[in-house]
Amino acid sequence: MSDDMYDEEDIVLSELSDEELTQQMHDDLYDGLKEEIEEGTRILLDRDWPADKVLSDALVAGMTIVGIDFRDGILFVPEVLQAANAMKGGMAILRPLLAETGAKPVGTMVIGTVKGDIHDIGKNLVTMMMEGAGFEVTDIGINNSVEAYLEALEKYEPDILGMSALLTTTMSYMKVVIDALVERQLRHKYIVMVGGAPLNEEFGEAVGADAYCRDAADASETALRLVTEKREAASG
Amino acid sequence: MSQHSPRRRSGGRKAKRAARQQVQTEITAFIERKIPYFDYLDEESLSLIEHNADKVLEEIGIEFRDDQEALGILKDAGADVDGERVRFPSGMCRAIIQASAPAEYTQHARNPERNVIIGGDRTVLVPAYGSPFVRDLDQGRRYATIKDFENFVKLAYLAPGLHHSGGTVCEPVDLPVNKRHFDMIYSHLRYSDKPFMGSVTHPDRAQDTVDMAKQVFGDDFVEQNTVCTSLINANSPMTFDATMLGAAKVYARHNQATIISPFILAGAMSPVTLAGTVTQILAEALAGMAFIQMVRPGAPVVFGTFASAVSMQNGAPTFGTAEPSIVLYAAATLARRLGVPFRSGGGLCAAKIPDAQAAYESANTLQTAAIAGVNFMLHTAGWLEGGLSMGYEKFILDIDQAAMIKILLEGMDMSENGQAMDALRAVGPGAHFLGCEHTQANFETAFYRSIVADNNSFEQWQADGSLDAAQRANLIWKTMLNEYEEPPLEPAKHEALLDFINRRKASFPDSNY
Repeated sequence: MSDDMYDEEDIVLSELSDEELTQQMHDDLYDGLKEEIEEGTRILLDRDWPADKVLSDALVAGMTIVGIDFRDGILFVPEVLQAANAMKGGMAILRPLLAETGAKPVGTMVIGTVKGDIHDIGKNLVTMMMEGAGFEVTDIGINNSVEAYLEALEKYEPDILGMSALLTTTMSYMKVVIDALVERQLRHKYIVMVGGAPLNEEFGEAVGADAYCRDAADASETALRLVTEKREAASG
Repeated sequence: MSQHSPRRRSGGRKAKRAARQQVQTEITAFIERKIPYFDYLDEESLSLIEHNADKVLEEIGIEFRDDQEALGILKDAGADVDGERVRFPSGMCRAIIQASAPAEYTQHARNPERNVIIGGDRTVLVPAYGSPFVRDLDQGRRYATIKDFENFVKLAYLAPGLHHSGGTVCEPVDLPVNKRHFDMIYSHLRYSDKPFMGSVTHPDRAQDTVDMAKQVFGDDFVEQNTVCTSLINANSPMTFDATMLGAAKVYARHNQATIISPFILAGAMSPVTLAGTVTQILAEALAGMAFIQMVRPGAPVVFGTFASAVSMQNGAPTFGTAEPSIVLYAAATLARRLGVPFRSGGGLCAAKIPDAQAAYESANTLQTAAIAGVNFMLHTAGWLEGGLSMGYEKFILDIDQAAMIKILLEGMDMSENGQAMDALRAVGPGAHFLGCEHTQANFETAFYRSIVADNNSFEQWQADGSLDAAQRANLIWKTMLNEYEEPPLEPAKHEALLDFINRRKASFPDSNY
């Protein structure tokens, strides 16, 4: 399909029915169109859609499709970044409204690379995918000590702590952080996810994490599953 | 990724999936080299080899066996003919070749978009040739049939990295020896629209090839243009036989191209030293190419080289080793100095199955051939066990490598976009390039994407069934054959072709010799 075919097609979002509009927003997320997503979000709110419905039906549902096609090798990394960026545009509009109504976000996360490790491209990709899936992510950057992690956890009270490392010499520090949580009787409060090239499932278990995630797509899927499980357990 | 770059709607998931899963339809007829040549030898060495080759031709001579007509042609041209031994005065062959042999020629395909230029800075990649056996993961090693032949013609047609349909892509041993050429040429003409190679196993079969091409291209077109390139091997050392000479004469008289290929298993069919081998190759090629020019001045002719080293332990040919690579580099330079197109290379290996040995031996030969400046790269895809077997999975692994050769030879993009100064400025230290505008604009075509290699995480690979490269290739060739569609051939031409084949087949009895 050539771009030209779509040039002539003038889609006026406000003239679409609710169903057509959410479908179009899924396509626009897929194509990474931030302004169109912002416009669509406002239109749905003007039509008295509750913020959490806009989030789940228009944005999260659209990003789920992006996640699937990324996993299947149809979409490439730069395209997923554009999609996540468009999603963030919509989220920026919804965030204050969600706070007002007390609706829970999909989930929250604090993420950073461990002490001694400044390799952050993988962590950045995870952040993008997580935000794309509707998570509120606080990125505390690189080279984080136990104290830095604890401080951020106290301040943001996230559902998830994410740690990453590229080096075999730094990955062991994850255990130091988790041990510190255990020691302070804080471990149960958080889902701990770890990732990075030299890690594997076994390592994740050995350091006491809840999950090892092999890539960014796996991270967002796993995060959704674990947060849902934890909330169900809490309410049940 | 802070800046918003203006983007347009492109149809969302449906359009993207369609585009990404679409079979590549863009045709690259051949590769145009844009990088310098790599010359392995210095001027002094090259001159010495040329001098020695002249001595071989002048003092030792070349045998032209069982072909009185050929001997007459050589004598008339000024060679010293002593029985079947033909000696050439120093410089004679070179002068004859340089007077009339084209530096490059166009081989026409039935689809003009697939016409190839052979020679100069071009590289044409061609499937493997001549295996009696085929092999795949499901059925193992077995004699090839015409069905296998058709399958490889179809796979070569579908491979974007191959520019040519080849010739005897495998030997259909289920058909009578004296008639199988009809079915082979028919397969090339029907199941592919890429250029092809003709039969060389008898002068009559060469004539049938030309006549079959005429049914599709038209009588006049074939006489005025080159529509097939065929493989004429020297029976090294220093011998041409009547079968090859007979076929070569037919093709030359119809202005069809021939590749004069010394077939060297060094140590057995040439000296064990590299300089000695290259000298012999040059002498044989000079004699053969000069002969073609004597038959018809101006007929396209290619300097061929097939070089392997023989194991001194057991006499078996070896591949992918350093010595044949050096011979290939030297021969390529000598062909350029002579001013004719050059054939060599391919994905050669001695491995029996598509394993690690197959991969590294083939990669060694393929890349050497590409860098050396081969114009017609026979045996690019499918080759196993020294050419005895054509592998389905090996073919897929090879066409994947072949598709990269184009990128390697096209050089570095030095345009403003290629320099990427904007990207370097926009991203700066410590950030990443995955989201910046320059990446967004270029990522889709920036890097070669292998159809076979698995680059996923260990866990993803495991989840996908822990398949090795051969197992993945097995799935790929089956999918390709399932999705294959014939390139349309005009019904009238198709009928004329079948009519010709049927009449010819009925005109003499089947024979297996």
